[in-house]
Amino acid sequence: MAQSRKDIVAWVGSHVLPHEAAVRAWLRRWTGRDQDIDDVIQEAYCRLAAMDDVTHVSNGRAYMFQTTRNIVLEQVRRSKIVRIDNVADMGSLSIVDEAPPMDQVVAGAHELQRVEQLIENLPLKCRQIFVLRRIHGVSQREIAQMLGVTQAAVEKQAARGLRLILQGLEGDDKLESSVGEVGEHSRERTRDR
Amino acid sequence: MSTRESAREIADQAAEWATRIDGGSIDHDTDVGLRRWLDEDPRRQGALLRAQAALSFLDRGRALAGVIPKPESRPIWVRRKLMFAGAALAASLVGVAILMSLPNRYGTDLGEIRQLPLSDGSVVALNTQSAVEVSMHRNAREVTLTRGEAWFKVAHDKTRPFIVSAGRIRVRAVGTAFSVRRHDDGADVEVTEGVVETWTVGEEERRIQVAAGSMAYVAAYEPPKIVQASADVERSLAWREGQIVLEGETLDEAVAQFNRYNARKLVISDPGLAAEKLVGQFRATDPQTFAEAVATTLGAKLEEDGETIRLSRRSPR
Repeated sequence: MAQSRKDIVAWVGSHVLPHEAAVRAWLRRWTGRDQDIDDVIQEAYCRLAAMDDVTHVSNGRAYMFQTTRNIVLEQVRRSKIVRIDNVADMGSLSIVDEAPPMDQVVAGAHELQRVEQLIENLPLKCRQIFVLRRIHGVSQREIAQMLGVTQAAVEKQAARGLRLILQGLEGDDKLESSVGEVGEHSRERTRDR
Repeated sequence: MSTRESAREIADQAAEWATRIDGGSIDHDTDVGLRRWLDEDPRRQGALLRAQAALSFLDRGRALAGVIPKPESRPIWVRRKLMFAGAALAASLVGVAILMSLPNRYGTDLGEIRQLPLSDGSVVALNTQSAVEVSMHRNAREVTLTRGEAWFKVAHDKTRPFIVSAGRIRVRAVGTAFSVRRHDDGADVEVTEGVVETWTVGEEERRIQVAAGSMAYVAAYEPPKIVQASADVERSLAWREGQIVLEGETLDEAVAQFNRYNARKLVISDPGLAAEKLVGQFRATDPQTFAEAVATTLGAKLEEDGETIRLSRRSPR
């Protein structure tokens, strides 16, 4: 049975998106390039969007590593001249599947911190709207009334804010670097939790 | 196709659609404009999912934080944390071996690469399976390449020309850097700095000059000629650091390079595979890593025994 769009969006929001920066950082290290990474990431989301149901994906982070890896390899095989630097590192990638889940409380705290940071970095108007809408669940219409502006103006600022948030999610931050270590050094870690 | 939108441009548009859906002004499943936008480019589905997921991620922050008291539309001041990235400069210095007394003859085994300083301040780097004999005279510095390949960084000394002999071939420098590789019927001369003169014995009047960045092939019984005026000389001399640098060479050529350094030979059992072109940098003495990279990248099969590493195409599915 197909999942609802809302459930899929929520799953991607909680299980995939938080790991995007780590995946990007890994892709940069691995491929040694910056320019094509946006396309690889976008393709990975496309593959997710094509699914009716994501419940069979047990680990969103591992899925992202695996999928982007496959996309890069497919591109490489299609190209005339094959860049094979660092490709050997990829053998170690299967370990991402075995990455032990972060302690739930710690992960939650990190994630909250990340959300706060993303919102804090927004320009003032965007930030006000985002805090009201996302943190306090106020509707766009109500926000328009509270701030004495039109709904269209609220929507415009909200879209601008989301654009900036999407860009912010690409980058590294403390959360992602710590999460990244969990994935990459998981082999050294015990799984007896 | 007209100009292709970048991933960023699509992401920006997706942010607008996601905001409209979130604000309730349109519905994801029924809005005609959204449907049209999505259908125009298959990449947009992914971008929209990501944008909606971002909003969901932010909502998750609220859930994690529990109940937060409602503010009186007071601006939240930014606490910008300045992150001072400690710039640590890791200067790795290559240690230079100190040579007590230079033996007259010097050689390397299979896979071995050695650098040795000469008494006049010049430096010789010997590639795999190579040998030189060095004689320092009052009015000349003479090096005989008895086999293989060597690179010379010649200390400047006008009074004592630096002459390399490789069979019938001669290369003369004053203060410059170049390599000589012996073949059965001649030698390659590649110049990294300055200019050298090269000729064959008995053909002294037909000498040519080879400048930095050029490569000449000097045949034993023919006048020398420049084969590449702008050879990527630094790259082909990557062996001095024990590296093989591939810039579009075929797998076949790459394998020949590796086999120069290693007793354990790489074998390609498929002509199609052998013609694949590669870019990359590897340790010359590590054919295993190279073979694994090739197998992963080209989807090839790897078979190993003690003496060879065999690469072949996977049978088509």
